[in-house]
Amino acid sequence: MQTEIHKEAGARSKVRKSSKRMTLEQKDGLNGYIFIAPWLIGFLILTAGPMLFSLYSSFTNYDVTSRMDFIGLKNYVRMFTQDDLFWVSLGNTLYYVAISVPLTTIGAVLLAVLLNQGVPGMRLFRTIYYLPAVLSGVGVYLLWMQLLNPDSGLVNTVLSWFGITGPAWLFDPNWTKPALIFMKLWSVGGGMLLYLASLQGVSKSLYEAAEMDGANTFQRFRHITLPMITPVIFFDLVTSFIGGFQVFQEAYVMTQSGTGGPANSLVFFNLHMFNKAFKSFDMGYAMAMSWILFIIVLILTVINLKLAPRWVHYEGDVPK
Amino acid sequence: MNSFKKSFSLLLVLMLGLATFLTACSGTDKASTEKSTKSGGSKDQVVELDFWSFWGSEIRKPIIEKIVDDFNKSQNKIHVKYTYLPFGDIWTKELASVAAGNAPDVIINDINTVRQRAQKNQVESLEEFIKKDPGLKDQYFPELWKAVEKDGVPYALPFNTDTRLLFWNKDIFKQAGLDPEQPPKTWDELKEFAKKIDQKNGSRYVRMGFLPRQSINSDIWMLNATGHGYWDYKENKAVVNDPKAVEALQWVRDYEQQYGDKVINSFKAQFGDSQADPFVSGKLGMIVQTATDYTKIRDYAKDMNFGVAPMPEFTPGNGHTMWGGGFVAEIPKGAKHAEASYEFIKYLTGAKAQEYWAVKNFDNVANIEAAKNAGQSSDMSENDKRVYNAAVENLKDTILTPIPLEAPDYINLINPELDKALLGSKKPQKALDDAQKAVEDLVKSSK
Repeated sequence: MQTEIHKEAGARSKVRKSSKRMTLEQKDGLNGYIFIAPWLIGFLILTAGPMLFSLYSSFTNYDVTSRMDFIGLKNYVRMFTQDDLFWVSLGNTLYYVAISVPLTTIGAVLLAVLLNQGVPGMRLFRTIYYLPAVLSGVGVYLLWMQLLNPDSGLVNTVLSWFGITGPAWLFDPNWTKPALIFMKLWSVGGGMLLYLASLQGVSKSLYEAAEMDGANTFQRFRHITLPMITPVIFFDLVTSFIGGFQVFQEAYVMTQSGTGGPANSLVFFNLHMFNKAFKSFDMGYAMAMSWILFIIVLILTVINLKLAPRWVHYEGDVPK
Repeated sequence: MNSFKKSFSLLLVLMLGLATFLTACSGTDKASTEKSTKSGGSKDQVVELDFWSFWGSEIRKPIIEKIVDDFNKSQNKIHVKYTYLPFGDIWTKELASVAAGNAPDVIINDINTVRQRAQKNQVESLEEFIKKDPGLKDQYFPELWKAVEKDGVPYALPFNTDTRLLFWNKDIFKQAGLDPEQPPKTWDELKEFAKKIDQKNGSRYVRMGFLPRQSINSDIWMLNATGHGYWDYKENKAVVNDPKAVEALQWVRDYEQQYGDKVINSFKAQFGDSQADPFVSGKLGMIVQTATDYTKIRDYAKDMNFGVAPMPEFTPGNGHTMWGGGFVAEIPKGAKHAEASYEFIKYLTGAKAQEYWAVKNFDNVANIEAAKNAGQSSDMSENDKRVYNAAVENLKDTILTPIPLEAPDYINLINPELDKALLGSKKPQKALDDAQKAVEDLVKSSK
């Protein structure tokens, strides 16, 4: 009987041994794949395909228009031994990530906690703090270039009210990266919103119990609030790390089409790669660089994931 | 029956998904829809050309559109369409188009990188066309023609160029007790004159004589002193740490240090661009700037009594070498109607179009005859002509610095060293020696 039904719907079924029929599970699985087929095709053609092409090309001297000869590991060797700018760019990027990620995370958490206090006008403050995260693109960078102007910019003017002579932000190699981090801190609103939402989810009964046990505000924060929002912190941390390594736009716009700022202080990994790809047309080399970045970020993310169980506390977990 | 319906609806979903995907990915390239589909052969149909450039401002766009219009009206075989693309984006877009085999027919590109593009197969060679027009190269300034040739074969036609001149404010000279008709002839005179012009109000400068990096960078000073750029094209090697270049860099650093960075920055902070330019607002006595920046004086300081002369010499008799850049009109590789493209770029760089461009834009053009005519044009005022002719005259001392093929991003290695020298963190000799070594290493690694 079963084989008869199978033969009726013959045109639509997959070719299989007539004695075996797809189980319901397998059929459901297949339906699932068909549903996501458009995205899958897009991914294969527009993302995975180019990535594989890039992997192959990183072993060639591809320059887009004139040549693509296999040269083995030469690009990678050149990158590590003969390209000083590679190490400079890596250093700059690590500096930026190491400082901006913790600072923005801490800032966002503190801001969220502050706003969660039920202060009157909280909605207004929330909007104000979130607004910078909505603004993006070249306009914002140009605005900041005005603000950071050493003598007429608002930042140094305000500093001078307190008797501090501000540094020559974008012109002093020691202060260019701090300037960018400063700019990044201005848009903590995005993360703040995330934390606000998760703070709402912390059960009030925990706080009540702690109060009854005599915990003060700080102890409540440290032992209840923080552990309860660690899943969100973890997510934010991982995505910020990945995003931080890809910093490019700020450096490109704020250093006159990507020259990298005074004394190469703003040459980030992606900027160096961009220059190699589109100014020197050294595309194979740039592709090799992109794969190295991928590996670095992959390793860091795996480290993050491995360290997570030590400090991320999911509700309902059995304590270690 | 049930499974039939299910599979059918799934198939429908799949089809819709594919259809959406395909629509999204189809023909968004304007250029492809503009081209006529016929290949060679039919001479009756008009050839459509796609012309890309980055002139989109209120001033420049009408000028280029009129030139294109004149060309279209002057004959009926070729029709050119001008497309504006933002400066910077235009060339990455072109690179992608060339790689996709979908290149525009004519594009304006940078003159100092023509050889690089020729090597990378991004431009069509003009060898075949030039054979029929052997005298064409004589209508351009020789330095410009040199830059578009690679191994003796031209790959583009020069369109425009630029040069830098010394401007000085004659009224300020008089006030400072200097002869208004005598500009400084050497760097040392420049320093002397500037000191006389400096005026302080308490501890702040309200007027300064000269600032070496107000409108140009230290590389121009080094080029003026040595007479060449960072690369020796005959011997094919880097010459960054030429002794005169070291002296020049030291001179600029010393000049700036007599005031100190703080003073210079706070002086500069009072100013901006256009009306707020320090020379235009009469707060800076002398300036070395691009000749075409004269338009700022013409528009915002009509009554200024100013003089214009070549940049002072490093030492008497050293020469007035100056740097020039510029743009070319070229045919990207894979352009489908190379002959028609060639006709158009010939027109673009021909005397008529170039004179129109020169007068309307106040720009140094590549065509010698057009430059001469523009300098005598009735559409220019006396002052306009004075500056324009001085600029054209200066072209005989102006050299270009095409990017060496062995070290295409050498500038990225040299500039940071110059930064360090000027910020005081490295001595000029060490900075230039390090830059020299870095470029040599780059040359070695790209072999």
